[in-house]
Amino acid sequence: MLFYSFFKSLVGKDVVVELKNDLSIHGTLHSVDQFLNIKLTDISVTDPDRYPHMLSVKNCFIRGSVVRYIQLPADECDTQLLQDTARKEASQNKKK
Amino acid sequence: MAEEAEQPTVATVEEPFDLVRLSLDEKIYVKMRNDRELRGRLHAYDQHLNMILGDAEETVTTVEIDDETYEEIYKSTKRTIPMLFVRGDGVILISPPMRANVG
Amino acid sequence: MSYLPGTASLINEIDKRLLIVLRDGRTLIGYLRTIDQFANLVLHQTIERIHVDKQYGDIPRGIFIIRGENVILLGEVDDEKFKNSGLEEAPIDEVLEKQRSLQLQKQKEIEEKRKALRERGLEPSHLESIQEDF
Repeated sequence: MLFYSFFKSLVGKDVVVELKNDLSIHGTLHSVDQFLNIKLTDISVTDPDRYPHMLSVKNCFIRGSVVRYIQLPADECDTQLLQDTARKEASQNKKK
Repeated sequence: MAEEAEQPTVATVEEPFDLVRLSLDEKIYVKMRNDRELRGRLHAYDQHLNMILGDAEETVTTVEIDDETYEEIYKSTKRTIPMLFVRGDGVILISPPMRANVG
Repeated sequence: MSYLPGTASLINEIDKRLLIVLRDGRTLIGYLRTIDQFANLVLHQTIERIHVDKQYGDIPRGIFIIRGENVILLGEVDDEKFKNSGLEEAPIDEVLEKQRSLQLQKQKEIEEKRKALRERGLEPSHLESIQEDF
């Protein structure tokens, strides 16, 4: 749940989602679900010549499983909180 | 966050994920599928090995064959991303930071 | 839980005309009739849209049930963005012909590279394979 909660805290911020087929989509994070499927609004692609079909789409739903990376706004990320949460989840998982 | 009674900080490694936990806030090396490598500071991870890396440097290695000399040319392309979420299914291995006092 | 704000859900997209990009690179446009938790989809009155550079052509396809794992993304075609995109429709035969020659050329390049790498004892891992590495 760490990343689901984390991405929810980034709703409304600009991100770049890089897919496993090398397509990079820049957009505003609209929503996310527990599979880390993602909805972006007001998208643009960095390489429109290779992906002309994306030129006509403004908002999109991206299946979480096709994501390779997501570039995040660094100043919106509380790295201390992330680390603490990761430690907490690690110890919770051990107790199970 | 500090009110939580932390686990004893004895660095015992019982399972692979212990090593990942001990790498939090350290610079790690990640080998990815498709000839990609990452170096960056580990800020978060989960059981899928999804991760967040700070100041991540990505290296992509490609092989080209020179048309004339017929030799292979290895090209590596580097870029730096200030804050990067990495999806775990692309991860091959993680290497914790080098320590002076190993052993 | 699909109705909480900030939760990505396809519920709101049902009965809209959507553009779907599949893992094999194909682009479909159709009415999204139903979905499930895997993002399996049913598309109605589907067309397949072939893009070559700024030209495109459509092929009517009918009803599709798509297994979720093959879906890369879904998006609504935005009329205004579409108008400003510089995309123009062309006869489908022309577009297919162009696509075919481009694919042949690309295929040839990939084959040559693959052959050259094999002769050097290297196994080409992912030359333009969109498929297996997902």
